[in-house]
Amino acid sequence: MADLEKLITVAKETVSRDDVKHLIGWRQGTYGFRVSPHFITEPEEADKLIFSPLCNSNLVNYLTWVEKLPVPRGQEADTRKVALMVKGCDSRAVVQLLIEQGIKREDVIVIGCPCEGVIDLAKAEEMFPNVLEQVEARWDGEKIVFKLPDGEKAVPREDVLADKCLRCRYPNPVLSDVLLGDEVKTEGNDDYADVDGMEEKTTKERWAFWEEQFSSCIRCYSCRNVCPMCYCEDCILDRLNPTWINRSNNISENTAFHLARAFHLAGRCIECGECERVCPVNIPIMTLNRKLTKEVREKFDYDPGTDPDSKPLQASYLPNDQENFIL
Amino acid sequence: MDNMKLPKEKVGDFLAKLGKEKFRVPREIGGRSEFAPPNGESNVDFSLPNTTVPLKSLFYPQTETLYRFEVGDTVPKTSVVAEEMIIMGVRPCDARALTIVDKLFSWDPEDPYYLAKREKATLIGLACQEPRVNCFCTSLGGGPASTEGLDILMTDLGDSYLFQVLTEKGEKICQEAGDILVKSEDNDVQAAEKAHNDAASKIVRGIEADSIPEKLPQLWESDIWKKTADPCLGCGTCTFLCPTCHCFDIQDEIEGIEGRRYRVWDSCMFTEYTLHTSGHNPRPTGRERTRNRINHKYSYYVEKFEVIACVGCGRCINLCPVNIDILNILSQVKEAL
Amino acid sequence: MSEQFEPNVVAFLCNWCTYAGADLAGTSRMHYEPNVNIIRVMCSGRVNPLFVVNALQQGADSVLVSGCHPGDCHYMEGNYYARRRFTLMKELLDYVGVDPQRFHMSWVSASEGNKWKDVVGEVVKETKEVGSFEQFQRDKINW
Repeated sequence: MADLEKLITVAKETVSRDDVKHLIGWRQGTYGFRVSPHFITEPEEADKLIFSPLCNSNLVNYLTWVEKLPVPRGQEADTRKVALMVKGCDSRAVVQLLIEQGIKREDVIVIGCPCEGVIDLAKAEEMFPNVLEQVEARWDGEKIVFKLPDGEKAVPREDVLADKCLRCRYPNPVLSDVLLGDEVKTEGNDDYADVDGMEEKTTKERWAFWEEQFSSCIRCYSCRNVCPMCYCEDCILDRLNPTWINRSNNISENTAFHLARAFHLAGRCIECGECERVCPVNIPIMTLNRKLTKEVREKFDYDPGTDPDSKPLQASYLPNDQENFIL
Repeated sequence: MDNMKLPKEKVGDFLAKLGKEKFRVPREIGGRSEFAPPNGESNVDFSLPNTTVPLKSLFYPQTETLYRFEVGDTVPKTSVVAEEMIIMGVRPCDARALTIVDKLFSWDPEDPYYLAKREKATLIGLACQEPRVNCFCTSLGGGPASTEGLDILMTDLGDSYLFQVLTEKGEKICQEAGDILVKSEDNDVQAAEKAHNDAASKIVRGIEADSIPEKLPQLWESDIWKKTADPCLGCGTCTFLCPTCHCFDIQDEIEGIEGRRYRVWDSCMFTEYTLHTSGHNPRPTGRERTRNRINHKYSYYVEKFEVIACVGCGRCINLCPVNIDILNILSQVKEAL
Repeated sequence: MSEQFEPNVVAFLCNWCTYAGADLAGTSRMHYEPNVNIIRVMCSGRVNPLFVVNALQQGADSVLVSGCHPGDCHYMEGNYYARRRFTLMKELLDYVGVDPQRFHMSWVSASEGNKWKDVVGEVVKETKEVGSFEQFQRDKINW
């Protein structure tokens, strides 16, 4: 488990450095179970940092979601490092960005937090609805303990953790500059039961399922924006010339959008589950992504975001890649 | 007109009598809830919390064709589609939001697409009894039983719904329903009022909003905006699902020799929303965009239409993936000066 | 009597092999199904998977991508990338419920006019089995 005191000390030291622009961590949100990304530039702001089962967001996205203003003449661009806190799954995004050369290693300081799983907000809020006071949480063996206004409540981890955590294979950061606390035991085993379940259905049933899901999409693009691997400066979804996908919201364009989004992550998705977490209309986006992750693992024996020296899956090939479907 | 009562077991009959196809009721479709025609049997679940997609989508759909054309046409084929709708189970905040948006769409020039739909719709509201943690309608002139914008206000009395008829449209509905509705008893109104007051007392969050419109212009350069926008992902959740947000983009689609011009929801939180052809963007970062969102609701709209374009439904707070909380921003605005 | 369904097959052919192979089939006066609409691209590696989606949106009943045999790519390795890409795309389309008969890939060299004829025959036959594509075609959207 991550050591909070060490975290604050490390954070203070890091933001005091001249070559660091800011540190991104988590802080308690405005109410209930929410947490918010915390951007620190001054050491005193570090006291608000937390690391708990509530920290369910992936901050790696902020490495690439940078809106650069034109640099005025005579001034130099800000090239200082960014420090950020990562959980095991998040660290894979950093690695994948390195593989793709989306970031430079020397531009980031990775503060690794071994993680025993984070909550699924929907599960927690269903269990304890309408909590206004800020809730604190901590890991305690097989339980998650919440500090609620009416006392502490221990909840079995299976009941409240996000699905991705229950099958987590990488609880410890794959890469880090500073590791907070001891590594946790890895026991997760991912059998892709959700994908298998979908595959067992008939083609017709699958389309019926996805048609309903895609129809309910409002195209807010939060899944794209939150994704640490979606960092094209010029996204095809914003393009008008050529128009790859029309702006109109209907089953045709929505399906094209979802296929494009999923496919752009083929062999790149690190399964942090952010897309599904942020979706306001609860589309099971990970069930789509994980189909590709499964195929990538089975067909190409590739696990994205684990080996900084590997080549991106779709920018490499083996002469003997299987091709049994080709006529 | 006297108050009426609809026994719960007669909801199906009520729908059938007035014409099921006219009704729009809250329904869960896929992972979202929205107002849609009732499904199959008469089971309407009015206990669902406020719909994910606000009522505006019925009057101002995400994608709406403005006109069609064909190669060689000199006059586009305009079609204003509006069918009669009875929307049942509307939350008072959503109905109030419509009255706010009405001001914009009936401004000069009038928007025929929106107004035609508005004219043909009857709104049967449902008083909220279980406000959620982020509801703050009482701060903005509404309430769990606000009647603004509604034709009938429905209150759940356990085994029946009390119908408080508010307009002529509402009266017409009651007359058409005939003997499905029963006369209400004397103590029903008291019971409803008690329910309304109980609900209002359950609202825990809020802000005193009157002073905000005058404060905002002075905070143009405040660091609130940068701080708030730092975690913002620039997605359109808060605006797309806001009952009063109404920005749209106009696009053409052409297939073969036919085409259409349509409008589609747009969001001021998107980077490309203000992007000029030249490449210049007057709102280049999240800071300017967040500032615009708050200012539009709490300052510009007030200047133009004398009402705050926020009803306190809490959707933007509930659904923001990074906990950008409008109440938190507003309290910072209040503290800043 | 209802007219027999004639599928609309969109084929993305690489300039150096399959396009030449199709040309050979033509100049050899081989008879093959006329349902295939050929779009010539420089390499199978140039085919963006979104081309497939967009073709289906715009009225194709099935899509064929065809290039040089592995090892024969004019650009050395374009078809290897295409192979990885479409292995995954085929799975994805199937997974969302698009009949697998609607997407095909083949290797046809410039000298394989006969094979081209067989490939087209196979693709058209399979497409006829699943009928016209309507799931997310733009034309089916009520404007």
